[in-house]
Amino acid sequence: MKRVLVLIALAALLLPTVLVAGGQKDSDQITIAFCFQDLETEFWVAGHKAITETLRAKGIKVIEKNANEDANRQLEQVKDALTQGVDGVIIIPQDGESAVTIAKACNEAGVPIGVFNRPPSDRSAKNIVVVANNEVIAEAAVEHMAQEAMKLGRKVTPAIMVGDLGDPNAVGRRQGFFNVIAKYPELWASAPVEIPTKWDANVALANLQSAMQANPDIDFLFTSSDFLFPVIKSVLAPLGKWQKVGHPNHVILGGLDGDKTACSLLKDGYLDATGVQNLFAEAEMMLDAMLSAIERGDKMPNQWLDDPGFALTQANLAKREMEMWGCKLLANE
Amino acid sequence: MEKSSSKYGIKDLGKRLLLSEYFVLYLTVIYILILTPFIPRIFHPWNLKNLMSNTWPLLAVALGQTFVLIIAGIDLSQTSVMALSSVVGAMIMTSGVDAVLFEKSPMWGIMLSENGGLLAGSPLAVPVAIIAMLAVGLLIGLWNGISVAHFRMPPFIVTLVSMMLFSAVAIFLPKSENIRNLPDSYIGISKTTFGFFSVSMVISLGLAVTAHILLSRTLYGRRLYATGVNMKASRISGVPTKRVIITAYMISSVCAVVAAILYSSRLEMGRPTLGSTLLLDIVGANIIGGISLAGGKGKISWTFFGVFFFIILANTLNLLNLSFYLIDIVKGLVIMVAALLDVTRNRIQRTQL
Repeated sequence: MKRVLVLIALAALLLPTVLVAGGQKDSDQITIAFCFQDLETEFWVAGHKAITETLRAKGIKVIEKNANEDANRQLEQVKDALTQGVDGVIIIPQDGESAVTIAKACNEAGVPIGVFNRPPSDRSAKNIVVVANNEVIAEAAVEHMAQEAMKLGRKVTPAIMVGDLGDPNAVGRRQGFFNVIAKYPELWASAPVEIPTKWDANVALANLQSAMQANPDIDFLFTSSDFLFPVIKSVLAPLGKWQKVGHPNHVILGGLDGDKTACSLLKDGYLDATGVQNLFAEAEMMLDAMLSAIERGDKMPNQWLDDPGFALTQANLAKREMEMWGCKLLANE
Repeated sequence: MEKSSSKYGIKDLGKRLLLSEYFVLYLTVIYILILTPFIPRIFHPWNLKNLMSNTWPLLAVALGQTFVLIIAGIDLSQTSVMALSSVVGAMIMTSGVDAVLFEKSPMWGIMLSENGGLLAGSPLAVPVAIIAMLAVGLLIGLWNGISVAHFRMPPFIVTLVSMMLFSAVAIFLPKSENIRNLPDSYIGISKTTFGFFSVSMVISLGLAVTAHILLSRTLYGRRLYATGVNMKASRISGVPTKRVIITAYMISSVCAVVAAILYSSRLEMGRPTLGSTLLLDIVGANIIGGISLAGGKGKISWTFFGVFFFIILANTLNLLNLSFYLIDIVKGLVIMVAALLDVTRNRIQRTQL
């Protein structure tokens, strides 16, 4: 009798499993897994918020996974999400290479995947990619910086804080910077100093300190991401180089992202220009493309959507301020 | 009277369960049964496939850690072995890299070029790369072992330094870039399946069986336990403790290389940060399995149960869609409880002697 009872209890426990393993879907509600690599910077936090809030507002169930900067964990999380029968997957990958591997896993499972803001390193997998045109945006910001440098009537010493070059965004931003360097060969006192950051504030701090010691003449600095401005301030301020535009010791400063810190610095006059990714529009583009693919039953949508972006500078700040997502967030505080 | 005898019966059962070498396995089964109604997809074929593919690489690296824990050591450098060996292997067999990304690598023009790695396209590329990866592991294991056994440096410090040093080398060689375009035969190691079976399963289980035989059926195994229980007494009794320690660290590193092969073929790339966040999982799985941090105690089956429980735990936390803030908290608490249970088990065993 006892054995029968144990068997009945076990059968009751396993019944839902048998039903699901038999192919039944948990519910008819659209479910999207949003798997991100981390939320270290203002940009990613704002992107995460924009995507999750918009999805939930549309009545879509969102499963969130944080990979803590581990590509293997992200792959496992995506696979776990696929077993839950999600209708779509949106990832912010750790890097362009792992984006390809993860997208292939989704292709194999027949689930549409969107890659947000950090593009795959090649196009061998099918996915919706929404990405800012980093090269063009960086070029626009650095062009403004170069125009400011010309007004000084002397040569300047340029430097760039380079992101993790495994990330195509970092490669594009570096290229945009070098396009301007190549355009005005007479403007530079020396070849640009490249300062690796690996998208890590600690690495950036150590390398910027070393670069400023080795090249004290640096007076033209472009950071590949706005989240490094606090690091830049902490290095330049003790050297007396954290000065407003127009001050003789001002380092011509530019960045890219368009976060709240950049907005404040522009308004306070410390920053010359920043390239702006239109974060909210990017989130909207991704969600529209993903929901449309789900609606038409397209299991392997293959679209590349570009955010042209723009540069917010001291010259157009008054006019275009509220187009930058960081300024919008700042205004809402 | 009856009530008190049933009370003692339950207490005895609890003790027997706690002391059983299958304790973690029982715990896993109970855990699965409890969660099954809340996670109906736990036995979905896809999920079972995920569970298996997540288990094998972690099992491989955890087996190596078991050897070191048995001699009362610890190997924090396993993750750096994984990273460095995956980079070295990829540099030998990749069929092409982007010059823009790699031209600043110190290996550019030596092991890497636009045409790929040292043996790009050669049928020998994969076997040579694997031999090179194993050689990297053996050398790092030798370095750790000699530092601990001959220079009597604390294993924690030695392997911590190794972790920092070799992780940095792994990042330095490719200048932090991932190396893709690995040969299909290499990628196939983690992707080839025969129904329920997979190549990675065969590799990891083969490694586990070998480790089990080594620990339970050989003189080396007995010496390993003896060294872990009391190194001084073992040395006086004629156990070559230095050799035993060095070999344990070398085995640990080789197991890390096997895991690197499984992870890097799964991710289809050599990664300079491969395994950098795995240390908690490796040590945690061993502790959950019942491998004592105090040394002298542990079995391969325990490691297997520990790894399986850890994988089930991570998988179910994902399937439960817990907030990502909570997942690592839960994992940490489970390891804490496992360590506490280990202390309790040891205490009960001592009182029974």
